[in-house]
Amino acid sequence: MSTSTRYSRRLLGSVFGLALALGAAAAHAETPNNVLVVAQSIDDAVSFDPAEGFELTTVQSFNNIYQRLVQSNREDGTKIEPALAASWESGSDGKSLTFALADAKFASGNPVRPEDVVFSLTRAVKLNKSPAFILNELGWTADNVDAAVTKVDDKHVKLTWSADVGSGFALSLLTAPIASIVDEQTVAAQAKDNDFGNGWLKTNSAGSGAFAISAYTPHEALVLEANANSSDKPKLESVIIRNVPDVSSRRLLVEQGDADIARGLAADQIDALKDKSGIKVLSVPSARTDYILLNTKANETLGKPAFWEAARYLVDYNGIAKDLLRGQSNVHQAFLPVGFPGALTDTPFKLDVEKAKKVLADAGIKTPFKVEFIVFNDQPFLSIAQSLQSTFAKAGIELDIQPGVASDIYARGRSGKFEMTLRYWIPDYFDPHSNASAFAINRDNSTNTAAKYAGWVIPELTDETLAAVKEQDAAKRVALYQDLQKKIQTSSPFVFMLQGNDQVVLSDKVKNYAQGLNADQVYYDKVEK
Amino acid sequence: MSFAWPLLKWLWSFALTLFGLALVTFAMTRLSPIDPALQLVGDHASQSTYDAARVQLGLDQPLPIQFLRYIETALSGNLGQSVSTGQPVARDIARTFPATIELATAAVIIGAILGLALGIAAALHQKTWVDTVARIVSLFGYSVPIFWLGLLMLLLFYARLHWAPGPGRADVVFQYTVKPITGFALIDTWMSGKAGAFKDAIAHLALPATVLAFHALASISRLTRAAILTELGQEYVTTARAKGANARRIVFVHILPNVSGTLLTVIALAYASLLEGAVLTETVFAWPGIGRYLTTAMFAGDMPAILGATLVVGASFVLLNALTDLLVTNLEAGRRR
Repeated sequence: MSTSTRYSRRLLGSVFGLALALGAAAAHAETPNNVLVVAQSIDDAVSFDPAEGFELTTVQSFNNIYQRLVQSNREDGTKIEPALAASWESGSDGKSLTFALADAKFASGNPVRPEDVVFSLTRAVKLNKSPAFILNELGWTADNVDAAVTKVDDKHVKLTWSADVGSGFALSLLTAPIASIVDEQTVAAQAKDNDFGNGWLKTNSAGSGAFAISAYTPHEALVLEANANSSDKPKLESVIIRNVPDVSSRRLLVEQGDADIARGLAADQIDALKDKSGIKVLSVPSARTDYILLNTKANETLGKPAFWEAARYLVDYNGIAKDLLRGQSNVHQAFLPVGFPGALTDTPFKLDVEKAKKVLADAGIKTPFKVEFIVFNDQPFLSIAQSLQSTFAKAGIELDIQPGVASDIYARGRSGKFEMTLRYWIPDYFDPHSNASAFAINRDNSTNTAAKYAGWVIPELTDETLAAVKEQDAAKRVALYQDLQKKIQTSSPFVFMLQGNDQVVLSDKVKNYAQGLNADQVYYDKVEK
Repeated sequence: MSFAWPLLKWLWSFALTLFGLALVTFAMTRLSPIDPALQLVGDHASQSTYDAARVQLGLDQPLPIQFLRYIETALSGNLGQSVSTGQPVARDIARTFPATIELATAAVIIGAILGLALGIAAALHQKTWVDTVARIVSLFGYSVPIFWLGLLMLLLFYARLHWAPGPGRADVVFQYTVKPITGFALIDTWMSGKAGAFKDAIAHLALPATVLAFHALASISRLTRAAILTELGQEYVTTARAKGANARRIVFVHILPNVSGTLLTVIALAYASLLEGAVLTETVFAWPGIGRYLTTAMFAGDMPAILGATLVVGASFVLLNALTDLLVTNLEAGRRR
């Protein structure tokens, strides 16, 4: 036998031995029956303090960890239901609410008291973190919030506000995660340097929800444990949300049964899993809307309403929704998503290059014309941008796609240093004003809205929007939002294109998983395996 | 006295290197288009929240002041607080760096053993099929995207054959039952006394380490082959041959000690590059190492985390180089004696 043959046999032997060792060591474990394992990216998580957390991962956890005075119905978010408040009464002035607290306990065992409500809402305003603007809508500031949120007696708490809004709107705001009630006795004990316990709550929890944080390792995993003191004890002992940054790995994990739920898979991966046994794909409408934002101040052409109109006929709405996003979005052409009161569902625009060309020619806009197009360097934005590039080119508009990281795109939006961009909007709370205030308010460029980013000054629409938010008659209010949507749909520097549709992959074993329209409406409490 | 002076000189150059590294990294993060304050508060936040975040992050200060503040924090040893994890950077690094060290060490051990074996085999059988196979493997190791290879290995060994566990450092049943003490999964599970957990940790380490080892193996085997072939033409090898030594004796007894310095250097370089460059492997295998920590920090514009992780990786690079130099010098001195 030659030396080389001996060597090759040894090499093969070593490789085989290594493979065997690997195989022997690999205990192929299924997820335990009392634990739900979720595979998703949790890299976005900054803080699990409900007064600060405003990222997808953190808001998805808040409904499971904390309770608010009131909550949105899981199926129909527009319906507001009791939670920590057993009942409530509006004041005769229309600018106050008095809540009667239900009997409830925090995970620590402490009872939920009016003091906890006062502490939670006032600290959220005083901390002034990312979602604070939601409570600021009531006119609450760090200086006046102490007087606005007060204890009436051992079972009642009263909220008053100065903003010109009704109690229905105030209740909607109170369904937002920032209005979560934290255990004052636990949190205050952890406070350092007047931070109201913010440093501690970033990675811990002190709520009365179905679960409590038992361990959180950034970029690794969030472990929730059933709250024994919860009024509605969850079916499972724990939920482990594992950080799996790569989508292909997430798909493998759920396919192999090492994860019960996988989120954020791409359309082609969902297609591949649809007919696989042991797996089901849940499709949930989402309140996210995708739109084009044009900067009217960038140059003379972009400032012309005719250019905005032409742009509406240069989007292949159906092609993007059906061929590119395949079930992950639907065509939607108004600023209120379907599911919100008053949302327009008609789709008056379709790809019509000849019409766009005519609109451009009638307005004297010369082509070819080049537009800088800044886009998130992530899918599906890049694919959508390429589709737009192709259809806009047919009318002589060359889109120069410039991909960038999210904060860069946001920063350029804020400073007005862009020509055209592709954005998405997720409502911050379950009320039409959340979106209307973004797209239809800009009196003089002094407020921070999408209309301001577009350089679109609209005092009349601003007045209409502010009238809508204080309207107490529900039917009239709906009519006002429909009117606003129609005006913005036909003449604005926004081209609304799509409404999201969340696709979640679940193991067949998972039962009663619930997810609602808004980003925070993810519920693990009823899940069984 | 003769020992103290070189040590002082080395410490001085070490400090200068770290300072230079901090300066360059700081400048790069400031030139990047990412706005850390906006990254922190998001697009929906009010202007007052955004302004408060800028103040909190010290971004309202002039650049030289920001840099001096950072150096001050770094010198105090705590490396500041990460914006994206909300934790002290030193604590984050203490958590993520052991994961990378564990992965890189396993990879370099596998890569060095296989790379040396392949290099020696190729040199001994120059211009035969063994040599051709070794060169193809080496070329493949150099050119194949590690990300793609990782996914392929997962598909084959995890999804199809079920020989290896899936991504992550441990199965969920063990992940929170073993208390992290050192941060090294193998050591912690061993110390826990749970045989199943230890076995699980080895199984999770094996696949990503093999993928990374493949990359290291390429450079090690190529250099081993070249070094041995160069030595084969030397006079001392001819003399040994004349004395009747066979090929194996010539390689193992005569040549390998002579080229050990070179081989040690290439292995150390491979190790250093694994410590800093395992990002994609860490992403595919959901391995919570420093490569991923640094990448996530970069996308988040998380200045304290970027600077802290860069300094630690840079320092370990310099230390590893110094250690290798010391070992090579000792080896050569030993051989001369």
